[in-house]
Parts: sequence; C-alpha cells; structure tokens
Amino acid sequence: MFISLQWLREFVPYTGTVKDLADRLTMQGLEVEAILDPFEAIAKIVVGHVAERSAHPESDHLSVCTVDVGQPEMLQIVCGAPNVAKGQNVPVAMIGTTMPGGMEIKRAKLRGVESRGMICSERELGLSEEHAGIMVLPSEFKPGQLLTEALGLEREVIEVSITPNRADCLSVLGIAREAALGFGLKLTMPQLNLVEDAAAGDATKVVRIEISDGELCPVYRARVLTGATIGKSPDWLRYRLLAIGQRPISNIVDVTNYILMELGQPLHAFDRSLLKGDVIRVAPAQDGQTITTLDGQERKLLGSDLLIWDAERPVALAGVMGGGNSSISDTSSEVVLECAIFRPGTIRKTARRLALPSEASYRFERGVDQVGSLFALERAAQLMAEVSGAHVMTGIACAEPKPWADRSHIFRIDRCNALLGLDLTPEFCRTTLTGLGCGVDASDPACWQVSSPSHRLDLEREVDLFEECGRVYGLDRIPAVLPKISKSLDSVQMSDTEFGFLQGLKAWAVGAGLREAINYSFVGTDDLDRLNLPVDGRIMIANPLSEDQNVLRLEIAPGLLNNVRHNLSQGNASLRLFEVAKAFTADPTSDTSARENSRLGMLVHGSRHSQEWPWEQGEADYLDVKGLVENLLAHYRLTGPKAAADYVLEPGHPYLEPCVRVELPGKDGPVLIGRIGRVQPKIADAYHARKDIWLADLDADLLRSLSRALTPVFRSLPKFPPVRRDVTVICPATLKSQDVEAAIRELRPKQLESLALVAVYAPDAPADSSAPAERNLTFRLTYRHAERTLVDKEVDKEHGKVLAGLPQKLPVRI
Amino acid sequence: MNEQLKSFLEGLDGLTLECEARRGQACSLKDLEALRVEFLGRKGKLAGAMVALAQMGPEDKPAAGKKANEIKAALTALLESRQAELEAASVQDGLAGFDPSLPGRRPAAGSLHPITLAMQEICEVLTGLGFEVVAGPEVENDWNNFEALNMPPDHPARDMQDTLYISDSIVLRTHTSPLQVRTMLSRKPPVAVIAPGKVYRRDSDLTHTPMFHQIEGLLVDKNVSMADLRGTLTAFVRQLFSANTRVRFRPSFFPFTEPSAEVDISCMLCGGEGHIKNEPCRVCKRTGWVEILGCGMVDPNVFRQVGYDPEAVTGFAFGLGVERVAMLKYGIGDLRMCFENDVRFLEQFS
Ligand SMILES: [Zn+2]
Repeated sequence: MFISLQWLREFVPYTGTVKDLADRLTMQGLEVEAILDPFEAIAKIVVGHVAERSAHPESDHLSVCTVDVGQPEMLQIVCGAPNVAKGQNVPVAMIGTTMPGGMEIKRAKLRGVESRGMICSERELGLSEEHAGIMVLPSEFKPGQLLTEALGLEREVIEVSITPNRADCLSVLGIAREAALGFGLKLTMPQLNLVEDAAAGDATKVVRIEISDGELCPVYRARVLTGATIGKSPDWLRYRLLAIGQRPISNIVDVTNYILMELGQPLHAFDRSLLKGDVIRVAPAQDGQTITTLDGQERKLLGSDLLIWDAERPVALAGVMGGGNSSISDTSSEVVLECAIFRPGTIRKTARRLALPSEASYRFERGVDQVGSLFALERAAQLMAEVSGAHVMTGIACAEPKPWADRSHIFRIDRCNALLGLDLTPEFCRTTLTGLGCGVDASDPACWQVSSPSHRLDLEREVDLFEECGRVYGLDRIPAVLPKISKSLDSVQMSDTEFGFLQGLKAWAVGAGLREAINYSFVGTDDLDRLNLPVDGRIMIANPLSEDQNVLRLEIAPGLLNNVRHNLSQGNASLRLFEVAKAFTADPTSDTSARENSRLGMLVHGSRHSQEWPWEQGEADYLDVKGLVENLLAHYRLTGPKAAADYVLEPGHPYLEPCVRVELPGKDGPVLIGRIGRVQPKIADAYHARKDIWLADLDADLLRSLSRALTPVFRSLPKFPPVRRDVTVICPATLKSQDVEAAIRELRPKQLESLALVAVYAPDAPADSSAPAERNLTFRLTYRHAERTLVDKEVDKEHGKVLAGLPQKLPVRI
Repeated sequence: MNEQLKSFLEGLDGLTLECEARRGQACSLKDLEALRVEFLGRKGKLAGAMVALAQMGPEDKPAAGKKANEIKAALTALLESRQAELEAASVQDGLAGFDPSLPGRRPAAGSLHPITLAMQEICEVLTGLGFEVVAGPEVENDWNNFEALNMPPDHPARDMQDTLYISDSIVLRTHTSPLQVRTMLSRKPPVAVIAPGKVYRRDSDLTHTPMFHQIEGLLVDKNVSMADLRGTLTAFVRQLFSANTRVRFRPSFFPFTEPSAEVDISCMLCGGEGHIKNEPCRVCKRTGWVEILGCGMVDPNVFRQVGYDPEAVTGFAFGLGVERVAMLKYGIGDLRMCFENDVRFLEQFS
C-alpha cells in the first residue's frame, strides 16, 4: 500500500520527517517497507521558457528553439513537436539528464544544428499518454524551476505492508488515524460540500435498490449523476494517483479510484443509459451462468457468486469487477454511483476462483467500514460533479437490510497487564481506547464495557483490546523476564525423542566420514519413473512450482542421486553422502493421507579413500557400504550371535542390482531394516555416473525402536586361554560365506566361542572355462572353555568334526 | 699365596681386560652375543678357567670362588653396557628415516549440513532453557495447519502463506505451528515444547526455497506473559549470537497469536549501526535491525480449539526460520545453494 505524505497531511497535521513517520508506524505494527520518491525519474527536469523559435534550415518539421532555463546562458534546443511556440513554458531535460525510459540526454546535432537538451512531452515524462506534442506549462512558472516543484508533485511516498487484520489501514484515512494516534495529533476529515440539483431529478425515483440477502450485502447505496462530461481528470487528481502508482483513466473512474485510495471504500460507476429498468438488484448468480466483465472476459459463475443485476440481466460481479455491458465509456453522461458493503468471504471466494484480485475485492474481503461508507459516497459524488460538470440528483437510492450494530466487549485491566507483562494505568488504557474510536464505560473499574468502532472490524474480543493497549504503549517496552518452566515427571530427555535419535544418527554418520545432504522432500515424477518406482502410493502435489517438484519422495534415493549428478557436473568425483529424511507413501488410513517414514540414506561413489598417499587406491564397492551398515548396527548394539543381521540377495529390485536386504531377527521372523545395493548401471548412466553408485537405504524409525530396547549387560571376562584353529574351505564361487559359516555352526563344535572369516582367496579361473570357478575361504575358529584350560586333544576332536562334516553338508573341499 | 691360586686369579683378571678390549669390536647385538658365549657360555673362557677351581685345595677355594663371582659380574656388566650402547644406536638408526611431516592415514571426514548445524545449536539453547523437543508429520491436514490455528477457510490470513496442496484438505505443512495443535491436543498444561522441522511454501527465489526449516516454540501455563516471551527470546538470541545482541519487538499479525510481534535483533555485522565505515550495511540494509522470528501470545481461539480454557491458562508461541539463522551466522547468500549439496559447499561446514 502506497501512501502519499501530501495526501496524508490533508487528514492530519503531521509536520515531522517522513523517516520519523515511517519508524513510528513500523513500531505501531504498520511496517513501512520503503520510502520512495515517485517522481525521482523526472527530478532533474526544469521549467524552460521558449524565448525564440525558428524553423530548422534543413527540415520542415523541426524547430530550433532558444530556451531560457534560468541560467545566464540560453540553450539552443532542436524540437520536433508541432505545437512548440515562442512564449511557451515547457519542461526541459538538460544535458546529462536521464529520462524515465533510461535514455540520457547528450549534446547532439540534428541535421547540422546543435541541440543542448530536449523539450519533453507528457508521455516522455511519464505523466500521461499524451505525445502528440510537447507539454505546455502554465505561464506563471519560472524558468529554471524544478518541474516537480512547479507542478507540486509529491516527492515522499511510503510503502506500508498491511497485515490482513488491518483492513482499516488500506487507505490514506486509515494511516492518518494511526499517525494521529502515534503523534497525538487531531484527525480532520475533508469538508463535505455536495450540491444536490433538484432540477436533475430524484435518485430514489429513478433507481430502486433490492437486496436478496442482507448477510451477503448489508447495505447498498447509489447516487445518480446526470450530464457528466467524460474526459481527462484535472492535473492534481491525476498526479496524486500517479504518485501512488495508479494509472489515471478518465475523470469518473479516477474519482472512484481516488476515493478507494483515500477512504478505503470501493465504488463502482455504471452508465445509467445502459441499465435496463429502474431497479438494481443484489442477488446470487445461478450455477453455470456467465457474465462478461469489463475486461472483455466471459466468466462462468457459481451459485456462490454475488451479482449486481438491473431489471433484466447481471451488470457487475459484486465487489470484484463491473460488467462490460454497463461500464462508463467516453460517451457516457448518466452515472449511477454504487457504494455498497459485501460479505467478505463471498467476495474472496469469487475473486480467488476467477483469479481476479483487484483493489476493490482486496478491501471487501478484508472488511470495509459500513458506517463510513456513506461519507465515501457523498465525497465521491461531490468530486465527480466537480471534475465532470455533472449534476447530482437529490437523494440516495438505498437499501440497508442489516444496519451496523455496535459491538461491545469487556475489558479487564488486570488481565491486560497480566498478559502483556506490563503495568499500564487505567488512564493510559482509557485514552488509548478512546483514541482508537472505542466507547468506554468504566463504571465497573475492574471490568469495563468497551465498544469498538465500525472501521475496526478486527476488534472482536477482549484480547484484541489488550493488543491495542500494548501496541500503542509499545510492545518493545515490555521487560524481559525468564519464565520458570514447570516440568512434569514424565518429561522426556532430548536423547529419547525422535529428534534426539535422528541427531545421534547424524553424529554417527559424520563420524563414519559421510557428508550430510539435505534435499527437497519432493522430486519430479520423472525422478521416480527413472528408478522404476511404483506409481501406486505416490503422493502428488496438486499445485507444484514446477514439474520437477511435483511428487513427494517415495524413497530417499532420488534426492541423493540428483546430488550425484550435480556433483559430477562440478567435477566432484568422489562422494560419500548421507541424508536423514522422510519418505512419503500414500496411506488412506492416516489422518493426513500419508505414511511418513524417517530413512537414513548413504551413498558412496568413486574412490574408497582419499586419493592422497598413503591410502591404497581403489573404488568404493559393496564391502564399503556394507561395512557402514555393519558399523551402524554395531553402534546401536544390533549385533552379536542373537541379533546378527542377515544379508539376503533380493532379485528384481526396481533400481538396485545387486540388491541386498538387511534383515534383523525379530519376534515374528526377520524384520527388513533396509537395503544395500548398486544402482543399476543403465540408471546410473542417467546421472552421468561413470563408476558404481552404492547405496544403503535404512529405516531410521525401525532402527530407533529396535535399539531403544537394548541395554548393554556386562559379562565376566574369560579366565582361561582360547585355542584357535583355522579351516580353509575350497568352495564354488557361488556359495556364500554366510552359508559356510552357518554350516559350521550347525555342526555344533563344542566350546566354539567365535567364528570369523579371515581370508578370501579367489585363484584365477583356469583356462578350461568348463570348470566351475572356485574360491578359498579361511575361517578362524576360537575354542574356549569357561572353567578350565582346553587341551589340544579335545580341540582336535571338535575341530575334526568340522573338517569332516563340512564336505558332507556343502559342495566343498577342505 | 700358592702359585696355582695366583695364576688362577691373574687369569681371571686377564679375562676382564680382554673382554674390555674386545667388546668395542662388537658392532651388532649378534657380535655381542658371540662375545658373551665366548666369555660366559657353558663352554666359554670363564667356564674354562673354573676347571682349575675344582682342583684347588679347600684353603684356596673360598678366595678363588669369590674372585670368580666378581669376575662373572664384571664381565656381565661389561657386556650389558655394550648392549645398551648398541641398542641406543640401533634406535637412532631406525629413526633416521622417520619423517613426521608425511600425511597421516586420515579417515574420511564427515560433516553436518549447515542447516542441521544451525538447527542443533538452536535446539540446544532452547532445551537448555527447559523446552522439550517434539516432532510431527510434514504432510498435514487443513485443520491442524490452518483451521485450529484460527485460519478458517476463505480467511485472508491464508494469503500470508503460499500453500502447496496435496488435496483440498491435505497440505504440506506451511509452518511448524500445527505441532502446537498436536501437542496441546495430546497433553494437559503446563506445556513447554519446541518443534523443529521441514516446512513448505510455494515460493522460490534467492532467499526463499519451497522447502525450508522452522523451529516452533510453545509455552503454556498459568500466568505466562509477554514479558516471559521477551525474556525467553532475549536469552535465546544472546546465546545464539552474542551477549550484547539487542532485541526489538514490533507489533505484527499472526492469526494464531494475539498480540503478535515480529522480533528483530541488532545487526551482527554492523553492530546495529546500519553502516560500516559510512558504507550501508548489506545484511540489515542500513536499518541496524535484522528480522529473525515471529511470535506472540497464543490466541484464545486456538486454546478453545484444543480444549484448553483461555481463562485458566495463557501461553506464548514463536516460530523461527532456521535458514535465516544459518544465513546470518555463516554468511550464506543464496539459499538455493543449501539444497544442491555440492561437496565443496558441504565440506566448508566440517
Ligand atoms: Zn547491519
């Protein structure tokens, strides 16, 4: 909202600086976002007097002018306008001036004649669309005067950001009220001086107002004007609109805009000669009905839209936009001036559905002062008559099915002070409330009755009055006190919360040498399709910003893979990333329609280690990412013979190959905690990865619930020495080490304490390719007796069982 | 003294002299071991000399035996001192190739994302003040995200947040404030919680991304006042930024708080002056203040929606943008960079 200081000063005698005003308004809750000079672009233009004019020797449409710009030396300026003449005062852009369009005026030669400046048209100055000739200024202007000063143009405009509750401040009047309150000044309304002309007729005889529902339209008034001449508005009116960024159109329309900006009351002017019959009806549209609005667009309507009708048809979309069939044109002379109040929700629905936000609908949907609207109508009619020469008929055509009713609230000063943490006096509160326009009945000192003014629709409750007292006193003067926070006995420790667990998980990942990525929760459907992820269960965004952000992540991978693409494009070839984030799946049983699952994603690509000495070089592979998973599970104590994870090959995964399921033993069978795998090379290609991308995607929620149940239990340290025996198994390459391990355990060698794979050796495949590939796995078996030292003989016996038993259980040699 | 004893004793002294003379020639522990065997071994020179001892008369034996023990000790000492010398020399030799400046075998370095860093720091300060951390869903229903927060359908306040919709009644939460609703629905006062998390708006430019992070704070109890709110936030920003940070409350509007305020803090770059050496400050755009969060006293309508009695309890709530803090603290200019996850960006926060 732009507010001109000149205009404001017509309502309140503020004499301070624009900066002080801006600061004060900001601290009253009306944030001033900028202080602007609306005519900065023409600030250097001066008034010039054309002392001489002669025809250009080489051109029949150029003139050579000698112009007095108040300097000792006259300027010779070549001008192409047909209307330039000796004796005129004109706007002059001198050498070095930059025009509103960005062009800089330079010394130039036009057809051989030197020109030291430019005489400007109104369009060149941004003052109107006029460009048939140069702008001719009043003769009383002095050469050398700044044009902005001579024309009295506004130089100080503030841009105020108005919060949705302060509809009353969407006008010069509203801001003036706040300034009056803030600086203790008196608010003065403009003098009304409306002259009714009985000879022109009686408005109540020529227009009858009918309202179908007082809830939708509590009041509708109309003035009728006759004999208007449509044309350009006077300069003062046009310049004032220009200063706040409004484009002047024609006198009648400009007045409606002027009143809208000044008093916050939207108005609409109909051409009465285009209205059928002598009735204006306010009634809802019929479903499916259409109206052509004055922008020429046909709008399809619903029964919830409100229309203004004449005797036969709709003539305006109430509060949003006029109809094309009844609007003011250059030839209009008969005017019906509408001034009404509409139900905010109705206007908002229509304006939003039709994407037709306007200055009018913006104010209606926030609420307009019903009591104040009469003044706005009268002032508008007066101004219209003044600027168009129209005559105003006597009387006001009016229907007010729901007159304004005062609203009264209690106000308890003790509660006010308790809530604000202040010690405001009754005098201060009373002055503040009456200053806001409230009626105060303090006959009960502890519980006042306060009525709020019709322009403050937001003062609906006692707490709203508390806010006003605090706001005017200054919220910034509230002291700082540290509260005593009461805790209950079942308050939870940070580490026991979901947030605490996830922070711990991140800390583990950082320790494991991974860098944290944070990706948007949404990706594009393309990103999911590329990974062959199911269409079922996707949660689409109905109004995405773009197609690559239109669906929530079903899994964590798509985001991390996009990071691979970005990093590779930047030449970052070795990646060790992790992300902790939610994956989203549609779930009709959820009250939010979604199931959210926190995941830990880990991704490695490229070199296993730093490429610097002394690390051995090598590409990250399955064992790297599996090692991370094993370390993580150990970190959360999900380890040991009873809790050991199973790593199970899963064929046919949508985008991983190989894909390994990580399963933990659970009460009712194995629990899937996540997957490890290599992104299928064809898919990795799409991310421009030339090396394998290894991923782990783990269920962080599950990890949390499983790990929470585990408390470490101390076991005594062994007292007797172990005996270690190795066994090397020659087995087909397809046999999994896990299976050999399981077979050894199944043979139940007594006193076996632990079992570990210590070497893997895969000899080069023999030239004879028909022989199946083999490899050697060496296991170290540790035997120990809890109560005595084992003797070799008994270990030999147990170990012998393993050596003999394995080839019987598996296709292996020892 | 008899001749036999005399020559025996002289022979032993000779051994000492010989050993002393030859031990310097032993240049390695191996040489030294050979020398030890030669003198002290089972068939060594000392043992050889001892044969004579057995043939001595009982009157000479004590003196000879005593001497023999002395000589054995002396030889042992001689050899041991040489061993110590050799060992010291060998350690020296071993260190000759030691280069302390070679790079270490460094494990890969991990790092937290700057948003996480800022988030953790904020949560630490607030939990230190006594708030408990709660979490909730990011896909939220309209009632929790808007309606319970005093934003009925078709309320202009909904324009303040450009919403990403899943359906007419389901949204991506536009703020962490629904956690206020969820918490109050599930607990009785007193309540002191913070809710960190991701939030979503339909907005994208240099300082706005469609996903960002907020931390919501809520304190509800008997007699909570706006002074408590100011105290909490003052303590908070002083720990987060610096002890001389000043706080400014500016009246504002949020549908779910009344009164509402925007909180500005004195600019950390220019110290609240608005300019640095006559140059306008780029962080606060010469105002000296930086907007950091929105807050207010919980609106009675919100209390009614969750079944709290607004006559019995009062409370405050605040919502803080984590990206804003990260930008201020770490000087990140373009927010979108935060979500590209370029490792050269990430490693700066190690
Ligand atoms: Zn600054």
